[in-house]
Amino acid sequence: MVGIDPKAATRTPPKTVVFRVKRYNPKSGREWWQEYKVETHRGMTVLDALLKIKEEKDHTVVMRYSCRMGVCGSCGMVINGVPRLACQTQIAEVADEGNPVVTVEPLYNFPVVRDLLTDFTDFFEKHRSVKPYLLRKDREEQEEPRGQYLVSPEEHALMYEFTLCISCGLCYAACPVAAIDPDYLGPQALGYLFRYVIDPRDEEWQMRLMIADSEHGCHKCHYAATCSMVCPKVVDPAQAIQRLRSLLFKYKLGLWRKKKTAPLSEKPKDWKPRKPLPPEAQLVSPDVDLERLESEPVTVEVDGKRVELRYTIYD
Amino acid sequence: MSKGRAKENRPGLLRASLNPWLVRVEDHPERLAFVLHRVTGVIIIAYLLLHIIVTNTPARAGWEAWDQLMEQFGTNIVNQVGEFIVAGSVLFHGMNGIRLLLAEFFGVCIGRPEKPKPPYIPPTYRACQRQLLYLIFAVWPILWVFAGLLIFGVF
Amino acid sequence: MGASRIQMWQYITAILLIVFLGGHLVERLPWLVGAESYHDTLRSSFVSKQYGSWWSIGLLILAYTALFHGLNGVRGILHEWKPRLGTLWDAIIWAVFIVFALIATYTVAALW
Repeated sequence: MVGIDPKAATRTPPKTVVFRVKRYNPKSGREWWQEYKVETHRGMTVLDALLKIKEEKDHTVVMRYSCRMGVCGSCGMVINGVPRLACQTQIAEVADEGNPVVTVEPLYNFPVVRDLLTDFTDFFEKHRSVKPYLLRKDREEQEEPRGQYLVSPEEHALMYEFTLCISCGLCYAACPVAAIDPDYLGPQALGYLFRYVIDPRDEEWQMRLMIADSEHGCHKCHYAATCSMVCPKVVDPAQAIQRLRSLLFKYKLGLWRKKKTAPLSEKPKDWKPRKPLPPEAQLVSPDVDLERLESEPVTVEVDGKRVELRYTIYD
Repeated sequence: MSKGRAKENRPGLLRASLNPWLVRVEDHPERLAFVLHRVTGVIIIAYLLLHIIVTNTPARAGWEAWDQLMEQFGTNIVNQVGEFIVAGSVLFHGMNGIRLLLAEFFGVCIGRPEKPKPPYIPPTYRACQRQLLYLIFAVWPILWVFAGLLIFGVF
Repeated sequence: MGASRIQMWQYITAILLIVFLGGHLVERLPWLVGAESYHDTLRSSFVSKQYGSWWSIGLLILAYTALFHGLNGVRGILHEWKPRLGTLWDAIIWAVFIVFALIATYTVAALW
């Protein structure tokens, strides 16, 4: 909803815009606001302006960006007090002739590495803890697929919206609970969790509900709903978390269980066993053990005790 | 050469719980409702603990002591203002609580999943929880004024 | 199991509160209980009637549910604030709950 104004690119921003950038130097621990005057043009985004500053005025400004078109979700930052994707924010949207000033800060709730660059390690760790991939009882079939899982368009429509997440962290930065509680899973991880709970292809929904059902899981959400407000992909995590929570209650009261999972299609006639990955597709670092990543337990809090959940299929 | 340390950037309990404009988005009453719900909740629990102690008076010291206490409370303007604030808190917390009960517990009034389409307003904000919230903000002052008239002894 | 058990009680007490607190507040409307003013409804002649009838059980339920709902809310805030002290917060909150629930029980039992 924020930053999705298709008309904004047709408007002309003020000729010169002052960019107030929040800087942070990790070595000295100094924090300060620095101002840059930038000559703008129509269609210029905040990321364009920051890159212009970096090229022409100050090489030391640090930020993260990649695709420049709102797909990768790298350039999240707080622009005029609102978490936005810098590449998707037109200057004309956030500055006008009356107030040609744009303030740029690093995302809230993330540790700041330097200037506008934030550390996503913890965020991705939470994302990983909800097991954001399909899990089937038949693990062998998953490793060596013999067909495809059949999903009807109606079933797909129910979860499609929640699959659009690009993990940009804007929702996490906007969340008032994440602003207090460092252990809260956050709207992104919980939205993803819900997306797999209702995914007809997934069979480990009970384990997923267990992950959500922790002291810092879905019950910490207070429905301030700012996450949905700032989401650049209209994923609506606020709705996802409320649905997840009421589903969890229904499951606990014995009123809901996943009735049907997507069946496997017939084995295609031209089926061949999966080829091993080519060398260039292998992991760069030999230290990363994919098997271990898969089998690592998820720790959840059950009645005050920390319990390790393991994804086991062979017992 | 040391690499330095990343700086924590969480606004913390007070700023997140008290400032509804911490994230400066427009047209966002849900966030205001969250802050008000939390603040009124803290006011109510503080009052409740006092209330349980005060209402113990007749059991401890007899009904005369209670009548004396109520006479004091009823004529003290500080007390009346306090009572007025608690009444407003209870009214808002209760009405918003019904909305949250519907959304969080029953999972209704929060919109349905749909394909994003222009003008890209997430379903949550078009669902009836938003209308309920507007209704709460409209009814709350009226009931609060009514409670004030009772508390300050107008009728 | 998990946090949803206690959270479910948060919502169940919320529903009970709507009923019982609603009743408790309606009692303060002077023309419904035949009093002259709001302040009048707090006098012993009116209040003492409420104890000693079936409604004192309602008042007791109200006290327990309100205490649980309120203190559990505070517990949630404390858990958010300092998650590492979770066990300490739980212990403090339960202690406060038990003490105030006992005071409320004593009030109702003594005035029965």
